[in-house]
Amino acid sequence: MLVDAQNAFADDTLDELVLRTQQGDQVAFAALYEQCHRRVYALCLRLLADQAHAEDACQEVFVQLWHKISQFNGQSRFTTWLHSVTSNIAISYLRKHKNWLQKVVSIENSGMDEAGIALCGDLNGLDKLILRLPERARLVFVLHAVEGYRHEEIATMLSMAVGSSKSQYHRAKKLLQEWYEND
Amino acid sequence: MTKSNFDEFLAKGLEQKNNPEQMPEPQKSLWPGVEKAINSAPHSSIDSESRATRSGAWRNLSAIAASTLIGMCAVYFSMKPPEQNPVVQMSAYFEQQKQTLLVQYGSQPALTNDWQVQLQELEQAEQAIKTALENDPENAALLQMLAQVYQQQLDLINRVHQPRWQQI
Repeated sequence: MLVDAQNAFADDTLDELVLRTQQGDQVAFAALYEQCHRRVYALCLRLLADQAHAEDACQEVFVQLWHKISQFNGQSRFTTWLHSVTSNIAISYLRKHKNWLQKVVSIENSGMDEAGIALCGDLNGLDKLILRLPERARLVFVLHAVEGYRHEEIATMLSMAVGSSKSQYHRAKKLLQEWYEND
Repeated sequence: MTKSNFDEFLAKGLEQKNNPEQMPEPQKSLWPGVEKAINSAPHSSIDSESRATRSGAWRNLSAIAASTLIGMCAVYFSMKPPEQNPVVQMSAYFEQQKQTLLVQYGSQPALTNDWQVQLQELEQAEQAIKTALENDPENAALLQMLAQVYQQQLDLINRVHQPRWQQI
């Protein structure tokens, strides 16, 4: 079996940085930020579909990471743990920033428009389409297809029925296909 | 384009999800904000406490009123059937609140003479937004505007009937 040396090396370095950060080394934490901020920001952007909110949430993730990194026990890969922390923070960010009107009449936020997507810089084709999805379909699609969560887990995370998670996933796929074929 | 093209596109896109070169990047550097937050967390909480202490009585009263309204809205709407039109739900709730306030302040002198003119202007804005909503009842931006105009009306009625000692 071939060994992916580059990834193995990257993981070793990351493990060292995590260990040093757990010991309170802020220089190591800055290096950890350098290595991981793009994946954290990408996930925040996919979930929140708003550049400014994604930047805020990304900062919040790293602030909480600094305080909670001692809770990482090494039983899973650090990046897996980081993605799960990021997903939870982004979802709670979304809840906190809903205004009272959206909370009481359940208005669903539509996805990002073309102008907003253009401001996000160089995105790949799939990311451009994901950001256009309406909120619930986007959250489920990102958590299931991109992050690999099961519908049962998503239902708990988003406080929705398992069936709703499945139907939002199909809705998302249908919209993505429609846009892909028409663009 | 065919379904298999789309499946291929999807598979390729998902394969590249964690490829650093394919990941979007923030438009500004986020590290200075993170660094500041992790180094100054205790100070910022002290600052916010002192800010809260300095705020005036009217600000506190407004905050209480706003949170009460939001809380009552949440209870009110949670009891309504979900399929009901949001404009109808919101308007019914607002009318009830407005009438309660007008009855409550009925015998109390107002602090300005032209508050009813101001209220009429807000009512005209309310009508204009409602007309626009007839064509697009689910438009989130219009619903937000309607909610703001309703809130402004309640704030105005409250403000002009506050006793003078509360007008700090």
